[in-house]
Amino acid sequence: MIPALLFALAPVYWMLTISLKSDVDQFASPPPWFGFTPTLEHYYDAFVTRGFGQYLLTSAIVSVASTLCALVIGTLAAYALARFELPWRLNRHLSLWILSTRMFPAIVTAVPLFLMMRDLRLLNTRASLIVVYTAFNLPFVVWMMRGFFADLPRDLEEAALVDGDSRLGALRRVVLPLVTPGLAATAVFCLIVSWNEFLFALVLTQTDAAMTLPVGIAGRVTQYEIKWGVMSAAAAVALVPILVFALALQKYLVRGLSLGAVKG
Amino acid sequence: MPKSRRFFSAQNRREWLLPAIFIAPALAVLLSLSIYPLIYSITISLQQETSGGAVWTFGNFTRLTSDNFFLTAMAHTFVYAVVALSCEFLLGLGLALLLNSKLRGRGLFRASLLVPMMLPSVVVGVVWRLMLNPDFGALNGTLRRFGINTESLTWTASPKLAMLSVIAVDVWQWTPFVFLVLLAGLQAIPEEPYEAALIDGSSRRQTFWHVTLPLLKPSILIVLLLRTMDLLRVFDQIFILTEGGPGFATETISLYIYRTAFRFFDFGYAAAMSFVLLALTNVISVVYIKFLQAKEAG
Repeated sequence: MIPALLFALAPVYWMLTISLKSDVDQFASPPPWFGFTPTLEHYYDAFVTRGFGQYLLTSAIVSVASTLCALVIGTLAAYALARFELPWRLNRHLSLWILSTRMFPAIVTAVPLFLMMRDLRLLNTRASLIVVYTAFNLPFVVWMMRGFFADLPRDLEEAALVDGDSRLGALRRVVLPLVTPGLAATAVFCLIVSWNEFLFALVLTQTDAAMTLPVGIAGRVTQYEIKWGVMSAAAAVALVPILVFALALQKYLVRGLSLGAVKG
Repeated sequence: MPKSRRFFSAQNRREWLLPAIFIAPALAVLLSLSIYPLIYSITISLQQETSGGAVWTFGNFTRLTSDNFFLTAMAHTFVYAVVALSCEFLLGLGLALLLNSKLRGRGLFRASLLVPMMLPSVVVGVVWRLMLNPDFGALNGTLRRFGINTESLTWTASPKLAMLSVIAVDVWQWTPFVFLVLLAGLQAIPEEPYEAALIDGSSRRQTFWHVTLPLLKPSILIVLLLRTMDLLRVFDQIFILTEGGPGFATETISLYIYRTAFRFFDFGYAAAMSFVLLALTNVISVVYIKFLQAKEAG
């Protein structure tokens, strides 16, 4: 068990030390795992001097906005699919189709989306990313929320409807409070996926104003002189939200990531 | 009053309206951003620029069969997928079987194991470029401490070792996922089959093959499906680690499509290749799902 933990975490720890080591320590050979004086100069360098702060902000805005949109649109659709029986066995077909869009290799839609955004003059805008990420997250939201809704007994909703509530009202007042944990877990998944996303951001944004954090980091890494301290500092900050989320949600993650096939 | 199985069945036209309104936005988003791009992609893959303007032709597709780069990229992708999948599966299964007991500090353990796969792929790339750096990376540093000569071990810069390196990174990142899914599957198996097997005098090996494995099939299939899909379309980590290099050594199909579209601006050809990739992943996932459904029925 301990070896497994070390195996998983040691490389990340290594990167963290690089971000905290002064340049002298970094190029020492062999470089130390523990005995060095930490410095925050790379963090300052990255976020204040070199503009990674802007990438961070863009990532945050795009992730939150697309998650919200996906949640609203997806939860509505999920509710309908869970509670209404549509003709021609549409429920099953729609669900499977929605799931299948998640199986697409990203590059397949990235190329035409680039061309479409270019024609719409939406390249290098946050809006294009928000819209694309919403579409990206939507199948997952629908799949997850449908499962949560289906697990819910109907009695409370039926009672509300008998009492004269509208469908939407019943949804809001009765059902949503009951699925809040599921909603929260789904929201965090979407945030993680949007925050980490790379290919679409790479394709759709090339300017500093529009780049997300992953693209910003990648852009500097693939250039000639790589400042590893700065890179590590940026990467360290990029992974902090993820760690927080992983810890908070580890109970739900296995279930979510295996599409509900396996209860964690 | 008899309860109907669903709230509404589709008898009355009026009663479709509400669900239709609920589902419409989602459908609109997906149709415009997932389906329409595909159609757009088909149209550009069937066109080529000539001096007289754009012409409808299968040229992009026929070009595939003679394009060595394409075929090599496909080969690389398959090798990558098969090797990584085997390692991840065997390691994950082995660990799950070994650690199949009530663990203490379970939440923290699980959260820690999930870190590698939750990281942004860019961060994974940075982490491992640091680890694998021939001069001041931790790996070579540790090897040197044991007296091993690391001069030829340039990992991601070495044509011979690059593919191995990127596969190893993938194994590092995703074995925990396989482990966790299979572990959850194992722990969901009830006691009765094992007890029955014991009473029948079954050996440990027999129990494993005839009791554990069949009951684990759904988890195994889903994890294999998910990993296969991800491995075939891999892009991010390889882009950061090697950019497909050195030379063409680690170029997978997604990378080649990206390069064709965004370095050579040959969008039609890139679109044609995307469709081959899409068809491939479709076929494979259908095969897996058939297996999965056969298992549930049987």
